[in-house]
Amino acid sequence: MAFLRNNRDPSKKTVIKVASETQYIRKVSSRIISFLEHYKVDEGRIFDIRLCIEEAVRNAMVHGNHSDKALAVRTAYWIDDGALNIEIEDEGQGFDHIGVADPTTPPHILKNSGRGVYLIKKLMDKVEYNEKGNKVTMLKRLK
Amino acid sequence: MAVKIEMKNGLAVCYVDGEIDINTSPDVKKSFDKLISSKAPKIVVNLTKVTYVDSSGLATLVEILKNMRSYGGRLRLSNMSPKVKSLFEITKLEKLFEIIASEEEAVSTFV
Repeated sequence: MAFLRNNRDPSKKTVIKVASETQYIRKVSSRIISFLEHYKVDEGRIFDIRLCIEEAVRNAMVHGNHSDKALAVRTAYWIDDGALNIEIEDEGQGFDHIGVADPTTPPHILKNSGRGVYLIKKLMDKVEYNEKGNKVTMLKRLK
Repeated sequence: MAVKIEMKNGLAVCYVDGEIDINTSPDVKKSFDKLISSKAPKIVVNLTKVTYVDSSGLATLVEILKNMRSYGGRLRLSNMSPKVKSLFEITKLEKLFEIIASEEEAVSTFV
């Protein structure tokens, strides 16, 4: 786990780079949650932010980088206009987030996968994928 | 994460203590293996001490439910925190599971 940049200006990106090993997922989310301590964010939002970071980092590791430990997941975060912005990027070929089946519909509700992307889209205020599909940018208002 | 199992009124009550996420989900599933393999007909899972569940945790609970249904067993979840319950609502899993407010009610009305 490496901090490529860790400056004191919250509006500037801080970057964390980790190998594709699930043991690092919690470390990434913990780092960002502790960064938010000064902002007095309510518990519900903290829960949502943690969940979405962990789902997105896991997707990047498992689906993006196919759990190849030699490939990294880069997470950048910053505050802009009262909102937390998080960018999570893997080194894979990208995936079709639009093609992910709705996990709430009868054929899929009993399946073991597909809820991560759905939860991110529901819990964050804004979610965007790049064209390649290997980078997600999420925004959550802090109040 | 730890799972404690007690027998009450002839059914199994499982107390999960900790977070159910990608790292702990395999252990949660393993804790239920014995009950599932012995085809326990009714299980109540008390989630009072579960403060966090991710999609892996939801998938694990779905898998336990599916395994129980395969032999006609029934699973009830009780004492969910409002935040954990909201995940079941968002994902519409609330329609799939029997979610009961308290363990007492879940056990006493499990017919």
